[in-house]
Amino acid sequence: MDPMTAMYVAQGLHGLAYGMILFLIASGLNVIFGMMGVLNLAHASFFMLSAYLGYQVAALTGNFWLALAFAPLGSALVGVAMERFLLRRVHAFGHMGELILTVGVASIVLAAVKSVWGTESLQLKMPAILSGRVSLAGLDYPVYRLFIIGLALAILGVMTLLLYKTRLGKIVRAAVSDAGMVNALGINIPLVFMLVFGVGVWMAGVAGVAIAPILTVFPGLADQVGMDAFIVVVTGGFGSLAGAFVVSLIFGLLSSYGVQFMSQLAPVLIVAFMAIVLAIRPHGLFGARES
Amino acid sequence: MSPTLRTIAWLGTALALAAIPPLCGPYYTNLFLTFAIFSVFSVSLNLLLGYTGLFSFGHAMFFGTGAYATALALKHVSGLPLLAAFGVGVLAAALLALALTPIVVRVSGTAFAMLHLAFSQMMYVLALKLYGITGGEDGIGNFPIPPLTIPGVGAVPMKGEPANFYYFAITLLAASLWLMWFFTRTPLGQVQLAIRENARRTDYLGFKVQQTKAVIYVFAAANAGLAGSLYGLFHNLVSADGALGALVSFAPIINIMIGGIGSFLGPVLGTAIFQLIEELASRYTEHVELVVGLLLVVVIMYAPMGVLGVAKQLRQKWRRESTPAGALQKSP
Amino acid sequence: MNILETKALAHDFGGLQVLCGVDLQIAQGERHAIIGPNGAGKTTLFNVITGTYRPSAGKVYFKGRDVTGLPPHRLSRLGVGRSFQITSTFGRLTAFQNIRLAVLARRGIRFNLLRAIDAMDDVTSETDAVLARINLGAERDRAANALSYGKHRALEISLALASDQELVLLDEFAAGMSRDETHDAVELIRRLTEGRTVVLIEHDMDAVFSLADRITVLHRGQILATGTPAEIRADASVKEAYLGEMEF
Repeated sequence: MDPMTAMYVAQGLHGLAYGMILFLIASGLNVIFGMMGVLNLAHASFFMLSAYLGYQVAALTGNFWLALAFAPLGSALVGVAMERFLLRRVHAFGHMGELILTVGVASIVLAAVKSVWGTESLQLKMPAILSGRVSLAGLDYPVYRLFIIGLALAILGVMTLLLYKTRLGKIVRAAVSDAGMVNALGINIPLVFMLVFGVGVWMAGVAGVAIAPILTVFPGLADQVGMDAFIVVVTGGFGSLAGAFVVSLIFGLLSSYGVQFMSQLAPVLIVAFMAIVLAIRPHGLFGARES
Repeated sequence: MSPTLRTIAWLGTALALAAIPPLCGPYYTNLFLTFAIFSVFSVSLNLLLGYTGLFSFGHAMFFGTGAYATALALKHVSGLPLLAAFGVGVLAAALLALALTPIVVRVSGTAFAMLHLAFSQMMYVLALKLYGITGGEDGIGNFPIPPLTIPGVGAVPMKGEPANFYYFAITLLAASLWLMWFFTRTPLGQVQLAIRENARRTDYLGFKVQQTKAVIYVFAAANAGLAGSLYGLFHNLVSADGALGALVSFAPIINIMIGGIGSFLGPVLGTAIFQLIEELASRYTEHVELVVGLLLVVVIMYAPMGVLGVAKQLRQKWRRESTPAGALQKSP
Repeated sequence: MNILETKALAHDFGGLQVLCGVDLQIAQGERHAIIGPNGAGKTTLFNVITGTYRPSAGKVYFKGRDVTGLPPHRLSRLGVGRSFQITSTFGRLTAFQNIRLAVLARRGIRFNLLRAIDAMDDVTSETDAVLARINLGAERDRAANALSYGKHRALEISLALASDQELVLLDEFAAGMSRDETHDAVELIRRLTEGRTVVLIEHDMDAVFSLADRITVLHRGQILATGTPAEIRADASVKEAYLGEMEF
């Protein structure tokens, strides 16, 4: 293809990749909120923690795949611990308590990360197989970004299967709809919550390791990507996975095309988009009114 | 408290406030003024949070608007009197709030919190990017601060005169605090509480919930703008990080939670405690965030009503009165 | 003129017909009870009249005016008040503060920012008077949530009755009350609704028969009978409907 189209396509794929990353993070946030009513502002912190853990694993073993396999699990463990020992206690105080608690935890994670790994940017190298370029109809495109898209889609595919084709998935969907009722039916709701929380944080963790080779690992990661993911959730609407998906993609594309063509104003574009959506539909594009 | 005792208390406080510059020297005077500014800012947020049950995660919006508006006015309008510039700051914050009310009164709970976080983040980004107007990351610095003209007294210089500025600012801050206090003692203040407890019932009783919320919102915003405006004048610098950053929205929340969400002066106490902790933490450790994070977690888990809330519970236990459902229940 | 009327009111929940052809007529100033066995459709009827649901068919008229489907707060402003079956007061506020809000609403004091409320002696004394009438004087400074169930219900009912609304709808006011508490509540309602119209849904037959001027019996979504308490007591089809619902 000609250079002009090639550039557009390349940027589009960049945007898609970033959008997928955002969705991996946002979907966890969304489901957790939909089911537990908890807005976890520490979610992005776990995303970042996983990137750091991934860096550490790779530094110790020299193997990216091990990092991808274990770091998200480690981060998910911390997340579940937070849910089990801290968040649950505060649930009775309503949303405000949860928000404040997670802000506190986010601060702690940030401090921990800075003290263990310092404030410099750290490099997590992508594996050799994925570091090349591939030819797509004449466009030379980095394999790694395609990998990210593929990985994200694979995870989403598996999650969708689990949600819609297994008994556990049915329970989770029911719990999202009416946790109290499911609890009354004898299902161990706290366990289901913990599981969903863990999976949500795990997905964010995978995103963390996946994007680390591109963004590098630094303490501002949580704030940077976290803010984008949060904007996605708010704009797409709480409790709406479809909304999060659509908006993630839009954001990814806006972000990447914006950087390319209007680099100074790209962030403004994004927040402007959000502001407009919220002004018209304060609960997000696909959001349901809070009961 | 008997009226005589009350008058003595007021006079005493006024005297104490007036005595600070001569007694404490410039460093501590400035520290106190910072405390006063953030106290008023936190109390203004508590009007929304504790009194009406509206949880804003982006109150910095109004603080920052006040700061930037005043700074811009002084920078671009030559010969603008000090009080007028200050007024511009307050007005700008109020107008912003007014513009947002159509959206804001329709939501509550988490949506309200997130909406505010989103909007304030947008303002932050705009402030960073619109270099031409806001000076971007550097902000607006060293803008002219005219002397205060008091009829009959003359022009009192402010720039470079910490004591003068202190008296100017503290008077305005005290007035703001008093106004907010009075607000909570009016009939509207009662409707505010009613909305927090049971918005639907309030509606059914015949009160106009959305309009009431709008009034409260604009009023709280104006006071936040007041604090912001003074903050900008105080530092002679207004920057995105200092006036609109996420921390600027979180700090009053922390202050309120530590001091006590259920009382008017709780945020004031909380500001004092938090500022103290921050000062100490930054002297002894690099990990200020760790301290702040831990503090937040501990407070919300074990003392969600803050220091004053704990004090109230202890007092009640001591008096052996049955505690009305004082523990924090599920927030609206 | 009938203060409240429904014409051919019907409501179904996706195929399940709950109300069918209900023509209710409530005369001004009367106390009218709606009773019926479980599942008769009383709560649905109530919810349709108060605007919580929009009826599938039929009309509701208040003082001759079509108010079908108007949301509850609009109805409230037109003069239709209601209590809630699940007590809905201002939980953490004191009994005094609760009643005072109703008093303020009644006096139209909604946006007053100029006076300290504690200085408004007339409001304070009126509030205390109401508290005395509902026997909550001693609990004046107790949080609503800390009141005993019966007193909390009394507060709930008073909030519904303290405003000057001409028509008041009470939804199972005696729910969960002991015999004594019910008796007190009946007295309360009688006193606070002088000259006003009251429509109540109720299961407690003692309460119904001591309060109501007229009774409508609902059965399977339709009006079975309407009449004075004596007429209803004697009505064979009513007995049959109630007994027929009992399982042996």
